[in-house]
Formats: sequence, structure tokens, C-alpha cells
Amino acid sequence: MPRAATTSDVFNAIAEPQRRRILSLLREREHTVGAISHSLGLAQPTTSKHLKVLKEVGLVDVETHGRQRLYRLDARGLREVHEWTGGFERFWEGTFDRLETYARDLERKEREDGTTPHSPRP
Amino acid sequence: MEQRRTALDREIVLERLIEAPRRFVFEAFTKPEHLSNWWGPDGFTTTTTAFDFRAGGEWIFTMHGPDGTDYPNWMRWEEIVPPERIVATHGDRPDDPEAFTSVFTFSEEAGATRITLRTIFPSVEARERAVSEYHAVEGGQQTLGRLAAFAIGLSKEV
Repeated sequence: MPRAATTSDVFNAIAEPQRRRILSLLREREHTVGAISHSLGLAQPTTSKHLKVLKEVGLVDVETHGRQRLYRLDARGLREVHEWTGGFERFWEGTFDRLETYARDLERKEREDGTTPHSPRP
Repeated sequence: MEQRRTALDREIVLERLIEAPRRFVFEAFTKPEHLSNWWGPDGFTTTTTAFDFRAGGEWIFTMHGPDGTDYPNWMRWEEIVPPERIVATHGDRPDDPEAFTSVFTFSEEAGATRITLRTIFPSVEARERAVSEYHAVEGGQQTLGRLAAFAIGLSKEV
């Protein structure tokens, strides 16, 4: 699987322990940057930086209430993670691994049997 | 746009580059003695009851999981275009209401084969079930450790 830049890859985003702590906190309810910083003992600029990454990958979104900006968990970014951890994709990854091995065996067998190789042509 | 979103919500598209020429990759689908060598992830075996590789023909088989669980399977080939494309309906048994459509596309890429599997489920719910329940088919839950636990914990609550 090709890997995307940190700021657009949900897996990279949740690989960072402090960002996971922020997500855990937001599971309960929405919070301001200040409240998150206070709860986790982080400097506010650090929290803002992490929230920006989480927002870019679609794991949190922000709502403005008057002068308050409230951050909350957003399900969109989770879909990719959920599907990767779900079995369907891994089932097919495993199956395609074996298909590759088998197709190469077929190719080798044909070569060893000395049959004339031919490719289907339109 | 809304319709497009709805269609996407019922689909899963997977892509994989197979390091073998296309005609061998396609050939691997065409006979039960080929399929029994690779269908399913590591540790799986299949027993074929019926096999007829033509449009409208069926493949009836049992997958045996590594933990000894048997999974009945039924496929009907809907469209076969060698060596480019296979469309099949796939379920537990003939006319399974939960059956989904699998479209395999094979394209040549510098001596290798790009295989695209587009799966279209009958409903959004069926799609979600497939994503979650293939855990069971694999017979192993803890392989991804803490990331999986974390992600699943999150997704349950959102």
C-alpha cells in the first residue's frame, strides 16, 4: 500500500501517542483547545498542532460557538482504519498473496514443460 | 452526488499488483484444481462440489478455515472475458439474499498484472457486516493488537 504524507494519512495521525490521548478524550464529549491542553497537561500550541493534523485527516472537526471553538470526534477519518482492521481487506490480501505464488508457479511450469509461450493478442 | 455516495457506500474496491503475467493470473481462476491451490488466505483449503466456468455456470464449494470451521460458498459466474474480466455473484448458497457481486479486472502492467476487485453489496448494512465479520472467517482477532482495539473502540462510539 502506498503511504501518504503525515498530514493526510489517518494511520500516521493516530500513530502519535499524544494524538491518541486527544482522541480518547474527545470520545467522551467535545472540548476546547484549552480544556484538552489542561486535561492532558500539554502546552496549548502543541495541542493546536495535533488538532490541526487530526482535523486534516478527518478525525476531528471543529464548531464555533460564539467565541468558543469546540473540537469533537469525526467518524469520517475512522472509516479507513475500521476497514483496514476489519477482515475483508486482509482476507483478500492473503488470498492475492497466494494467487501471486500460484500464477508464478503456472508460469514456471509452462517454461519447464517447454511449451511454446504465447500471449493472447487482440 | 447523493446517488454517487449511496453507491460507494455499498462497495469495497481493492487493488493489488501481482508479479506474474496476466494470462497465468487469469488461468488460476478457470479450474477447481487451480483454485484449490490459492483461494482464501494462508491456511485455508477448499473442497469443490460443482464447477462450471462459463457465464451462468456455478462454483459450489466449501472453504475450510485454519481452525477447522467450514464455510459453505456459492458463486455464479455472470460474465467471463478472458483474460480481462470476471464478474461473479457470491453468497453462502444459491440465491442467497445476502449475495454480493464481485468484479475482478485484470490489466497488464509491465509484465505484471494489476488486479482490481470491486465488490458491490446488496445494502450498506451488508457491506458493514462483511467488513466486520471477515474477522471471524480469518479465525484470528488479536493480530493487529492495540491499534485494532483502539480503532474498534472508537468506531463503536461514533
